[in-house]
Amino acid sequence: MAEEKKFYLTKEGLERIKKEYADLKSLKFSKTKGEIPKIWHSEDLNPEYLSFQEDLSFLEVRLAELENIFKNAELIQLPSKEKQNIINLGAQVIVEVDGQRDEFTLVGSLEANPSLGKISNESPVGQALLGHRIGDEVVVSSPIQTVYKIKKIKYRIS
Amino acid sequence: MEELLDFFIEIGKLKKMPRRGWVINQIKNPESIAEHIFRTAIMSWILGGEKKGLNLEKLIKMALIHDLCEVYAGDITPYDSILPRSKKKLRELMKIWPRFPITERKKRAIDKLKKERRALEKLISKLPARFKKEIRNLWLDYEKGLSPEGRFFRQADRAENFLQALEYWKKYKNPPLGPWWLWAREFFDDPLLLEFIKALDKKFHQK
Repeated sequence: MAEEKKFYLTKEGLERIKKEYADLKSLKFSKTKGEIPKIWHSEDLNPEYLSFQEDLSFLEVRLAELENIFKNAELIQLPSKEKQNIINLGAQVIVEVDGQRDEFTLVGSLEANPSLGKISNESPVGQALLGHRIGDEVVVSSPIQTVYKIKKIKYRIS
Repeated sequence: MEELLDFFIEIGKLKKMPRRGWVINQIKNPESIAEHIFRTAIMSWILGGEKKGLNLEKLIKMALIHDLCEVYAGDITPYDSILPRSKKKLRELMKIWPRFPITERKKRAIDKLKKERRALEKLISKLPARFKKEIRNLWLDYEKGLSPEGRFFRQADRAENFLQALEYWKKYKNPPLGPWWLWAREFFDDPLLLEFIKALDKKFHQK
């Protein structure tokens, strides 16, 4: 069954999903016609595409999943200029944690990938950072305390 | 049948392969990869059953196959490239969560995916086509979070890992828990697993 929740997506994330949907549609079309898909020549071919090519039902499940995402997608809006000094969804934040510098982007759950610096707004750290400004020290405790010093906030305008 | 037998013999190696994260933390008699898979499968089934709409059969199969590639690819940890030789320095390193520039993290993620994919293909190469396809698809779903099950399982897998860390800490006062909690609060966002994390806190720290 499909998830029935809002998917907050960055512009970049939504574009990536739209591209995947278009690629998979064309893959399905080529497969049903018995042709070699054009996207095969693309260098940034996703590794799962080979599996989608091999297994039509796997491809169709993913297409249905993407359609569900589109239906429930909400694009993260760029905040007004005077609010761009506050951390909100879509903000790129440079922090200092335990003496180390790190960079996070606050994203919705679907795009979250903490190992690549994309922190979910629903994670404890994501929630704690929301609404803060440069210079703030955000304390996340329970049970071990960590201080996130906010050094820089920016929003990608694209 | 001989080819199936070969596959079972190969995956049986996971019963004796210690999880690398515990080895570098110098944990005595660390769990094997197969032991991690066992509890992850049970946890995914039970915790997944507490959520609405997840396909439990898919979830349990995903748990069973998610680390099979480690037969050939080994167990990769974020500390691998910065491991010092001295045991004392190693203990100090385990007290921090390593943070790398985003470009380096992306490269590591791509390299890991390629290495594990090659290993998985080698492992399943002689299986009948339907199993080969199913295992590959489940693994890709997990790695890339293609479905609600894949996205939930990525976190359930780490929840098991975190529980094991806390069990070792209770027994040996090792691994140092600072980096684990720091990572957990950035990593988990599934409401049910956040509840699980709270229960871990209560069980291991508030009694």
